[in-house]
Amino acid sequence: MSQFYLAALQLALCLSPMAIGIFITMKVFNIPDITTDGSYTLGATVTAVLMTAHYPIALVLPISILAGAMAGTATGFIHTKLKIDALLSGILVMTALYSVNLMIMGRSNIPLVNLKTIFSYFNGMGNEVYGQLVMALMMALVILLLIIYLLKTDFGIAMRATGNNPVMTSALGINNDRIKIIGLALSNSLTALSGFLVAQYQGFSDINMGIGIVITGLGSVLIADALRNWFHVKKISMQLILVLVGAIAFQSVLAFTLSIGIDPNFLKMVTAVFVLIIVALPRISSSMSKNRS
Amino acid sequence: MLRIQNITKIFNKGKEDEVRALDNLSLQINKGEFVVVVGANGSGKSTLMNLILGSYAPTSGQLLIDDNDITPLPEYQRSQWVSMVFQNPAMGTAPDLSVIENFRLAALRTKSKKLSIGNDEAFHQLVKEKIKTLGLGLESKTVQPMGSLSGGQRQALTLLMGVMDKTSILLMDEPTAALDPKSSAVILQLAEKINRELGITIILITHSMKDALQYGNRLLHFKAGKLEHDLNADQKRQLQLNQLYDWFG
Repeated sequence: MSQFYLAALQLALCLSPMAIGIFITMKVFNIPDITTDGSYTLGATVTAVLMTAHYPIALVLPISILAGAMAGTATGFIHTKLKIDALLSGILVMTALYSVNLMIMGRSNIPLVNLKTIFSYFNGMGNEVYGQLVMALMMALVILLLIIYLLKTDFGIAMRATGNNPVMTSALGINNDRIKIIGLALSNSLTALSGFLVAQYQGFSDINMGIGIVITGLGSVLIADALRNWFHVKKISMQLILVLVGAIAFQSVLAFTLSIGIDPNFLKMVTAVFVLIIVALPRISSSMSKNRS
Repeated sequence: MLRIQNITKIFNKGKEDEVRALDNLSLQINKGEFVVVVGANGSGKSTLMNLILGSYAPTSGQLLIDDNDITPLPEYQRSQWVSMVFQNPAMGTAPDLSVIENFRLAALRTKSKKLSIGNDEAFHQLVKEKIKTLGLGLESKTVQPMGSLSGGQRQALTLLMGVMDKTSILLMDEPTAALDPKSSAVILQLAEKINRELGITIILITHSMKDALQYGNRLLHFKAGKLEHDLNADQKRQLQLNQLYDWFG
């Protein structure tokens, strides 16, 4: 496999917690949350600041996750307690997080050179790239299994039902507001985890690294959704596995785009067009089949 | 026991389109009663149901269940006493979740939803046995998404879900309005059985005068936000269909 695609695979695995987080807000709760752009950078920012202060990774990881959870909680509170539209709540928190991230970092970019990262633990495998890949894969699988378990528990069933029929869940004794706040906190903690991983993978944290990242996660979820409809997948565990597959497919397409020589400056546009195609294709094909019949 | 004390509900108060849906209503419903509620559209029946459930807050007045003042409680907190069968079968179930997952939530209505998997084989077996009592052959469909079942099947399951956990009052807001006659009969006979065997208080709203006479042991008639008639079991038995129609004249 070329280095291009190996790097894409590793990046996809690092971004898969974020994709799972977006799946939770978008598909489980039916909430369009774009706090993601801010909480992803927040995870990277906290990671960079703590790592350069030589805090152990075992401490940096939970603090990054907690920071993301706090961002999600803020969005959840604004949405449920102040009754502000979920999209606007996310935009407000995302905008505020730009300043918060800048304040935490003290500058716009922190390089992570000559520091022991989470990926350094597998460097002894001989090939550094494969070592990093194994670590990224392990992290992605652990998160995947934890979320599959969570969504099968009684609490997880309540989460899924809240997004599916809030009238019913309220009548069944579920505090919809509280469970939405928990869902948004969980989703953004997963996004921050992706920020934690990507900052170490690319060797720096940058104030602008989160701009448009929600589209990457959204693209992964939409690919998963297309595959789910295609294969008639009903089980929640399989739907989550498809999100991981979607994240890998998404990054592979971007890697292919770069490999055929498209200017990297057009990468965001390629991402947007790719997502547009994923969203539009099922609608175009269904309207074409209607016209034919 | 449910006590409704001087309840008034005004929609759009102080505006041009102000509606007084319920006007100083006082009513006591005793434990184990099967109360059938009739009335023309806009008479206040559904408003009463939504006030008990907690979907609406009263403009004034008080609601008490077993001496607990439930007036300030939100809907999800009232669920420890009240369960609901909605008019639309789709309202009472989560269509993307499996039948068994819907029942799991119903079984936890008054309990906390923990981070453990309670949807195990023993629970599955319990639900299958309960569903089997319906005689609709649905016990083999417990892993199917709830949304794949017909309206009648979903409504029958919703009724069973309503008594999966302890409940004092079962509210049924025109539960058979969207169903065929056969499914309607299944639902109402099941409600009667639940009332008789479990002693759960049932409040049923219906537009079917035939059902209003056939089921229940108390009949309430609402007109323009006021309680016009309140018949006990004996008075209800003597009531004729044409007399009932006259109330709507």
